[in-house]
Amino acid sequence: MEIAVQEVNEQRLPKIDPRTKMMLLITVGIIMMSGKLTGVEYILRLICTCVPFLLLVLIKQYKAAAVSSLILLAVVLCEGFVVPKTSGFLNLMIMIVCGVISRFGPGYLCGWYMVRSTSVSEFITAMERMHFPNIITIPMSVMFRYFPTLKEEYSSIHDAMKMREIGQNIKNPLIYIEYILVPIMMSTVQIANDLSAASLTKGLGTDGKRTHICTVGITAWDVALIAVMALMLVVFFIF
Amino acid sequence: MEKKFEVKDLITVGVFTALYFVITFVVACLGFIPIFMAVMPLIGPIFNGIPLMLYFSKIKHFGMITITSIIIAILMFVTGHPYPIFIFCIAAGLITEFVLRAGKYESIKHCVIGSATFSLWLLGMVIAFFFSFRESYFASLVDGYGQEYVDKMMSYTPTWMFFAMILMCLVGGTIGGLLGAKVLKKHFRKAGMA
Repeated sequence: MEIAVQEVNEQRLPKIDPRTKMMLLITVGIIMMSGKLTGVEYILRLICTCVPFLLLVLIKQYKAAAVSSLILLAVVLCEGFVVPKTSGFLNLMIMIVCGVISRFGPGYLCGWYMVRSTSVSEFITAMERMHFPNIITIPMSVMFRYFPTLKEEYSSIHDAMKMREIGQNIKNPLIYIEYILVPIMMSTVQIANDLSAASLTKGLGTDGKRTHICTVGITAWDVALIAVMALMLVVFFIF
Repeated sequence: MEKKFEVKDLITVGVFTALYFVITFVVACLGFIPIFMAVMPLIGPIFNGIPLMLYFSKIKHFGMITITSIIIAILMFVTGHPYPIFIFCIAAGLITEFVLRAGKYESIKHCVIGSATFSLWLLGMVIAFFFSFRESYFASLVDGYGQEYVDKMMSYTPTWMFFAMILMCLVGGTIGGLLGAKVLKKHFRKAGMA
């Protein structure tokens, strides 16, 4: 039943190749991180701000898409039109708050989208097609799988601490860090062990060519997206 | 003792690099406030030293740290840092590799030193503020961040600051490494995990 539902969903949505997603991530990352607030670059930044919205809609995270894009748009517009009119300390404060959100936000959202929408086997297949060596591909795919887990672990540790009323009165930041980090590190070691066992059963340790069930390939969609991204980067670096 | 790379090692690399990257990312977000940018090389390694020491205790082969540093460089480049980050990351990774190797991947003392040398890659993140990059980088920042912000940044980062930052990395890394060693002894050794 589950599988049938999934297949229907996959057919309806245009499927983006992991390589295209990487291109998207790089473009948005570079333009948002180092773009200027005037002229052409500002327009590029505005476009890039809308990219996470489209991506989140694609994976049906409508609420997250709406909230995040409203915040991002507000911040970017604020940077473009409010900041030049202020000065002194106020300017600095707005600049810092907006800067953190607008520069890290879209890249973070794109990364989140990539992690959510790409399965590990798709990722490995795509990296293999690009002839990345295994010693880079395997750690990276483990990372992709591990990021969401890390977040879950953190929130359950947070809950557990709240339940026992630990954490409110800790004055020493080092102790607080210890309380958070040590359980996370414990689970990290545990997960590393679990994953190695799992990978052995999946035959990652053997030599020889791997085969894949998942379909990964560049479609017309991907070509169009990559072209747009490349164009944006070219415009960005020329101006 | 030099065996071939196993998948298990690569998975260890992946998991710990993820943890390392997340902590770095959180600290780097603080770096937006100008004064934090100046002390980031000190704070970052202190936080990072703790998981790093656990990671070092798992390392048995030559090359794992270098892979970590390459992956960090790729991720940093993707999130918009300039290219010198590759040079710094790989150099720091290699130096750390040799330090650990000198300690036969067992000595705690070498791990602490390794934690200090590995944190040197952070310099790649701030290199744009200094030397020949400085003028053009700040000029490009004026449009992006406003004159006010740039002035603040410039006042915190005179050229001698770069050398201070090297020192900060080393000191921060050492403190982090010592903290990590303490945590390892307190929590992990007893549980048989380190």
